[in-house]
Order: sequence, then structure tokens, then C-alpha cells
Amino acid sequence: MPLNTRLRGSARITALLWLALLAGFGLVIHHSLRISGDLRLFMPAPHDAVGRLLLDEVSQGPASKLLLVSIQGAAPEALAGTSQQLAAALRADPAFGFVSNGEQRLDMVPDALLPYRYLLSPTLDTHRLDADYLREQLQEREQDLASPAATLLTPLLPRDPTLELIKVLEAWEPAHQAQQQFNVWFNSAGNAALLIVQTRGAGFDPADQRLAIDTLRRHFEAVRTSPAMQLTITGPGAFAVTMQSRSEADARVAAVLDSVGMVLLMLLAYRSMRRVLLGALPLATAGVCGLGAVAALFDSVHGITIAFGFTLTGVALDYPIYLFSNEQPGVQPVQVARSVWPTLATAVAAVCIAYLAFLVSGVLGLAQLATFNIVGLAAAGLCTRYLLPQLLPMGVRDYGDSRLSMTLARLSNRLPRLPWLAPVIAVIGVVAVISIRGPWWDNDLGHLTPVPEAMVREYESLQQALGAPDVRYLLALQAATPDALLVREEALSRRLDALTTQHVIGGYDLASHYLPSSAVQRRRQAALPDAATLRASLEHAVAGMAFKPGLFAPFLADVARARTLPPLTVQTLAGTPLALTVGSLLQQREGGWTGLVTFTDVQQPQQLAALASSNGQIQLLDLKQAAEDLVNHQRQRILASMAAAAVLLILVVAATCRSFGRMVRVVTPMGLSTLVTLALLHGFGIALNLFHLIALVLAAGLGLDYGLFLERSSADPAAHRRALHAVTICATAACVVFAVLGSSTLPVLRSIGITVVLGVASNFLLSQLLIRRRDPP
Amino acid sequence: MRRVRWIAVALAVCAAPALAAPDLDSLLQHLARPAPATTPFVEVHFSPLLSRPLIVSGELLYSGPDSLARTVDKPYSEHTEIKGDAVSVVRGNGKPRTYSLQGAPELKTLLSSFSALLGGNRQQLESSFTLAVSGDEAHWTLGLTPRDSRVRQRVSQITVNGAAGSPRCMITAAPDGSVTVMLMDEAARTALATPLPATIDRAELEKVCH
Repeated sequence: MPLNTRLRGSARITALLWLALLAGFGLVIHHSLRISGDLRLFMPAPHDAVGRLLLDEVSQGPASKLLLVSIQGAAPEALAGTSQQLAAALRADPAFGFVSNGEQRLDMVPDALLPYRYLLSPTLDTHRLDADYLREQLQEREQDLASPAATLLTPLLPRDPTLELIKVLEAWEPAHQAQQQFNVWFNSAGNAALLIVQTRGAGFDPADQRLAIDTLRRHFEAVRTSPAMQLTITGPGAFAVTMQSRSEADARVAAVLDSVGMVLLMLLAYRSMRRVLLGALPLATAGVCGLGAVAALFDSVHGITIAFGFTLTGVALDYPIYLFSNEQPGVQPVQVARSVWPTLATAVAAVCIAYLAFLVSGVLGLAQLATFNIVGLAAAGLCTRYLLPQLLPMGVRDYGDSRLSMTLARLSNRLPRLPWLAPVIAVIGVVAVISIRGPWWDNDLGHLTPVPEAMVREYESLQQALGAPDVRYLLALQAATPDALLVREEALSRRLDALTTQHVIGGYDLASHYLPSSAVQRRRQAALPDAATLRASLEHAVAGMAFKPGLFAPFLADVARARTLPPLTVQTLAGTPLALTVGSLLQQREGGWTGLVTFTDVQQPQQLAALASSNGQIQLLDLKQAAEDLVNHQRQRILASMAAAAVLLILVVAATCRSFGRMVRVVTPMGLSTLVTLALLHGFGIALNLFHLIALVLAAGLGLDYGLFLERSSADPAAHRRALHAVTICATAACVVFAVLGSSTLPVLRSIGITVVLGVASNFLLSQLLIRRRDPP
Repeated sequence: MRRVRWIAVALAVCAAPALAAPDLDSLLQHLARPAPATTPFVEVHFSPLLSRPLIVSGELLYSGPDSLARTVDKPYSEHTEIKGDAVSVVRGNGKPRTYSLQGAPELKTLLSSFSALLGGNRQQLESSFTLAVSGDEAHWTLGLTPRDSRVRQRVSQITVNGAAGSPRCMITAAPDGSVTVMLMDEAARTALATPLPATIDRAELEKVCH
């Protein structure tokens, strides 16, 4: 008795010490952990130049930072006013890059660059700054001054009587832009004012995007003129934020439901609060160790890794269950642990090997997930082997004699012997997989981070209304220097103009549209009259008009400056609002410069392909195709590594079983279950994605546990009952956890949940049917 | 003693609108006319950019609160329509261009003062302007100073001159130094019959207004 009390006391201290150690370790991790929301971690690693360009565009490209904004719920005039005020507020906020609502903005070109307007405007390509042209322009300006809007023009006129700046800005407006009302963009129904806002934060960082969206909403609250006005924000960033908050909410609900379910199940199975608490110890150890390993090995950990990691390490509950179920009256727990260890160790090693497949998948997020699970599960296994026996009292019950186990054993014994079952299931499975028609793989990159259909539709309608560029087709050009690229783009422009008039494309946009090559700038420069000629022409033009003498001296000075300016380059543009626009179309990468041509309304992509193939220096990028190639390539790599892992796994099982026959009996239910699960998913018309593969591996790992537990004890009826007890609880627990996941609204969680539930159920049934108790000789 | 004088001045300042009020009401009643109403106009634009004023003429059509059309037919043709906050401008045979008045507060002020004057709506006038009336029944002057500081950056003051029940001139002054004098009704008809001298200055125009 004193011995027992002492043991209990020291057990309590050990448990508390361990928990304190875990808590301390957890605290350290919490401080050093950098959680990232960058969804790129779960995108495939690019394997060629097109793939790299695609991922750059998707993740860092200016398009990924665009938020499309619409304001509704008031008269168009009021909406236009709010649009202008909101745009002004956002432009003043450093959280936003470029903000556009269709208004013409004179400050697009900063004061210092104003003389460049003559080199940027196409006016000099068709006109000369001679007396006739100036007179025609000045007559227009007189009429402007006699209009009610005169005060708007007064400050501009002495410097820019031809309104060259406004012509430059008009030429920069997108070819196919949204319809305008009251100077700002509107949708085609005319009931929503539209804006395009570029955030400074990365498009695929939900934290940055959430901040930007909150700020945007705050500015809107401040400038709205009526409470009925509504703000809609959509775009990649808004999607990321929505998806993150939805996954977090779903994960929280799942965690609560799962915890309650587990406690109830364990209480029901063992009728001992102590075992419920002790069962949580390997789980906590797995979570803390897994997270610690990821934090130590990777720069930043993705939020999804953490959420999925904890869910997947739920498998670790199998280990204490197996230990508890094998307890026997009068046997020291340490002895029980020692006797189950070979099986347990094999189970742990097998699951770890399955996860090795993801470690080499080339997807950083999956590698993190694999690290989390390998380290976590190994730690849980060791904890079950070495720590739990110290904390358990001497066994008093044989769970194999419980009513549950007896019933299960009776049922199990009544199962018919069907030696032909395995081959029949295999044949039916293979036939079903081959003969049922339907898509096998889901190649849509977007489904990896799925966005609700309604949000996508909202985005597409706004994108269409704003005339935002086509997201699928791009032309890419390469050159050694930006200027060489601009020259090439100018030549290309002529062919694209022809395609536009033939309605092959609706319009296009490229860098040379904003920044002409230095050759073109020099040509326009050469067309500018010298100071004396211009002065004479102006005097001639202004004769008889009401303008004050000498009024246009700033104009003369600007033209004189423009004649001697070095041409404008990408470098001189830096820091101006224009740099953002040009920078998105002209990028330096890998020792050269890449220019992108975007299109609106591509009618005949084959014509663009023909244009690209006729010119070796132009590449047509079909981003949809590239994305599918990327996913395809990624899957092949994962499948290959899964096959390698399967071979390794069989070798480990074979090594433990030391018998070909036993190995086959352990592996067969698992292999067949994987086939059955695949056939069921395929039969229900579900196209497989990356997450189904993760779930299949997980289900196979669990199935292997059941096979090992049952096979080991098949010679001894009492041990068999104990194993049945353990496996039934494990399978029920897994089904509860993943059924909760399967009821999630998120396609990713749902696909994992459903796959694992199918796999576990099939594994449980098949292992019962196929791993029969061997009658004692 | 000094204090007493200050109080007297303050009282006078406070009392001034109250004293002018009956005049203002009857004045506004005289000015009001049922929509639709048309008047010929002659506008003389003075600007710091110009050595002599620009003179244009045409017709104004008031067709109800917040709805006004301005048609210039000499020396060129231009048609501006304002409905609510929406403005559209067509010059010659060009394409119509539309704006929101919220982007051009001075135009909105101009329109609201105009339609409030023509509609006899004192409340609307006083919500956007501080009003001051001077002169007598025969030759009165109504001064409107915008209350909103943003509007004052574009329009510093509007002055309406008239005789008996009919306005003659509406003078809009901007802080950049430009001044637009619009002759209306009788004054416009006279100016159309005998054109104003091309080099007319502010002082000469004042005489036409009074």
C-alpha cells in the first residue's frame, strides 16, 4: 500500500513535470515561431521558366495585389462623389499603391517630369508645334476660359496651352475601360461606382491583405454620404482573407467537437478519467515536438501547416489506446509497454515513412506538414513507450474481457471465411477504377485554395466591368536592356493594332504604351521647334486673341527644356506613380528584362499563338495551361514518391513480421482499402486533388496500424480480444475526428475528411475479414 | 467706454440680418419665377490670364429646382446641361462630356444659388451662403458668400444686382482673380442690341449693372 501511494505521488510529479516541460517548450516555440499566411507555400514548385513566371505573377505580380472595389446603394452622382473622396483618401494612405477610379489625375506625372510630356505624347508624331496648330489650340482654350469650369484650367494654361499633359493621360487610359459617369468608372448597369486599388502588402499574405481591407473600409466609413451606401471589395487578397477566416472558424469548431468526442469515447471505452488524461499526453507531446521541429527547420510556418498538422497528429491517439487496451491484471504497465513496443514501433515507423513521400514532394507546405507529423508521431510513440507506463498504475482489468470486447470477438468469429474475398475486391476495385468514366484528376490550381463560387462570380463581373485584363493569356518578350525591350514592343504594337481592328483581341496593354523607347523620344524631341521658331509661331498664333502678352513664357521654357532632356527611362521613373504601372509590365529577372503584354477580350487565342510562333523572341503564355502543367507535374512527383514510400513501408513491415505470409496479411487490407476508397471517390465523380492524396496516405497509415495490431495477436484469443478493443476504439476515434472535418464547408477539409472516413471504415472492415484469428494449433 | 462701444458694434452686427430680413424676403419673392423660365444672357469673363475680357452670349433655361441649361451661341456654340449633380457639356459638334458636380464645387454652388434665387427658396440660399442685402428697392444688391471653405477656394463671392423686381447682373468672383459678370433679362437684351465694347473693363460694366 505505501508503495502504491508513493508510486502514485511520483507519477503525479512526473506527469506535472512533463507537462511543465511541454508548456515551457511550447512557450519558446510560440516566441520564435513566424506564422505566414503565404498561400504560395502550398503551390507546386515551378520546374520551368513559364512556371516561375506564372507563380511570380500569381503571388507577387501587381495583379495579385489588386482589389476591385464597388460602391452601391445611392444615386450615381452621390456614388461618384464618394468614389472621388475615397480615392483621394486612399491615395494619401501609405498602405496603398496605385488607386484608380477613372478620374484623370494631373499628378500622375510629377512636376519635375512635366517637360517630358512632349516626348511621351503622340501629338508630335502627327502634328508640328507650328502657328496653325497653336492657333487652333489657343482658340479652344479661350472657349475653356469662358466656360463655368475655367478656374480648373487657369493654373495649367500658361505652362501647357496645348493641354499636352491631358492628352498623355488620356492615351494612358486602358483601351477597354469601364464606362464613365461623372468622371469616374461605373458598372454597365450604372448603379455602382468602381475603383481599382493596389495594396502595398503582398497579395497572398492574408494578414497584410486583412489590414489593407480593414483600412479601406475605415476610409469608406469616413467619406460615405449615406448609410445606405454599400462597399464591396473583391480580388485575390479579399479571397485570401475570406478563406483564412473561414478555415480558422471551421478548424475551431472541429477542434471543440473533436475534443468532446474523444473524451466521451475514451471514458466509454476505459471508464477511467486517468486514462483519458494520460491519453492526451502523447497527443500534446506530438503537437509540441512537431511544431518545434517545423519552427526550427523552416523560416516561417504556414497557418495551414499548423491547423492540418494538429489534425493529422490526432493519429497519435492510437498509441496510448493500444497500450491501455493491452493492460492485464497484475502485469506492470512497463511490461505491457515492452511487449507491445515492436508492433507500436513498426506502426510509428510506417506512418513516418508514408509522410516521407511529402517531404520530397517539392511543395514547401507539404514538407512542413511532413516534418510536423514525422517528428510529432515519433515523439508520441516514444512518450507512449517510456513515459506513460511510469504514470499508469498496476493493471487491474483486462479490457479483452470487457463486454465490448466479448461482443466484438463473437461478431468477429461469426464472420464467414472467404478466402476468395481479397482477389474479388481487388478485381472489382480495379474494374471500377478503370471502367467508370469521369475526370480522374482535378488540375485546377484554384481548387487548392478554393474560393466560394459566389465570390468568384462577383470578382469576374467586376473584372469585366472594369475592363481588367484577361487573366489567361499573356505575351512575354525578353531583351537584355529595358530600352531594347521597348523597341521590340513598339514593333509588336503595330501588329497588335492590326489584330485589334480584326477583333482578334479587344485591346492590349504594354510598357511602351506608357514609356516610349529612347529612339521614339529622340524623334519627338527632334520634331520640337527651337526657341526662336516657337516664339515666332506663338506670336503669330496669339495675334488678335485676348491672352495677356508674355503669358506663355512657362510653355516656351518647358519646350526648350524638353529639347535637351535625356530620354525618360525606367530608372528615372522610380518613385513616381507611373513606375507602378510600368513596373508591372516590365520586369528585371534572371539577367535580362521581361516585358509582358496583357490583353482584354481575347477572341481568337490561336491568332496570338501564330503571332508568337512567327517570332522566336515572343512567347505566348497560357496561364491556365501553365497552371495545369504545374499541378500535373507536381502530382507525378508526389505519386512517384508515394510509390517509393509504399515499397519502403512494405520492407519495414516485412522486417518486423519476419515472414512473407504475415507481411501480406498486414498489408493486404491496407492496399485493398486504398483501392476501394479510390474506386468510391471516383465512382461518386470526385476528381482527385493534392489533399485527397494526403488523406489517402493518412488512411493507409491508420489501416496499417490496425493490420499490425490485429495480426500480432491473431494466435491468442485473449490478446486478440484486446487488440479488437484497441482497433475498434482507434477506428471509431478516427471516424469521429474526420467526419467532423468532412462536414466542413471548405472543400479542402471536406475532401480530407471524407477520404479518411471512407479509408478507415474500409480498413477496419477488411482487416476484420482478412486478418482472421489463427486457431491455436 | 471702449467696452460699451464694442458691445454696440456687436449688437449692430448681430442685428443687421434681422433688420435686412423683411427686405430679403420681398426681394426673393420678386426674383422668384415659375419654371420653366428662360432668359437671354451675356457673360463677360475677366481673367488674370487675359488682357481683355471674353464675351459670350446665349440663353439660360431654368426648368425647376436643380435643373438648368446654358446655351452659348455667340461667338461659338456650346450647350451645358445641369440636372441634380450631373453636368453634360457639348461643344460644337463634339461628343457630350459628363461630370459630377461633386468634383466641381464651384459649379454646384453656382447652380444652387441660381435655382434657389429663381425658386425663391430662402432656406436653401441660407444653407449654402451668408446673405447680405444693400441698396434700396429701386437698385438693390444681394451678396452671397459661400459658407463651405472648399467652395470658397473656387468662388469667393457672388453678387446679384437688380432694379425693382428684376435682376440685372450676377457677378461671380474667384480667389484666383477671375471674375465673371453675367448680364440677365433687361440688361442682357440691351447688351445684345448694342454690343458691349470688346475692351470693356469692370468699372464700365458696373455702370451697366446699376
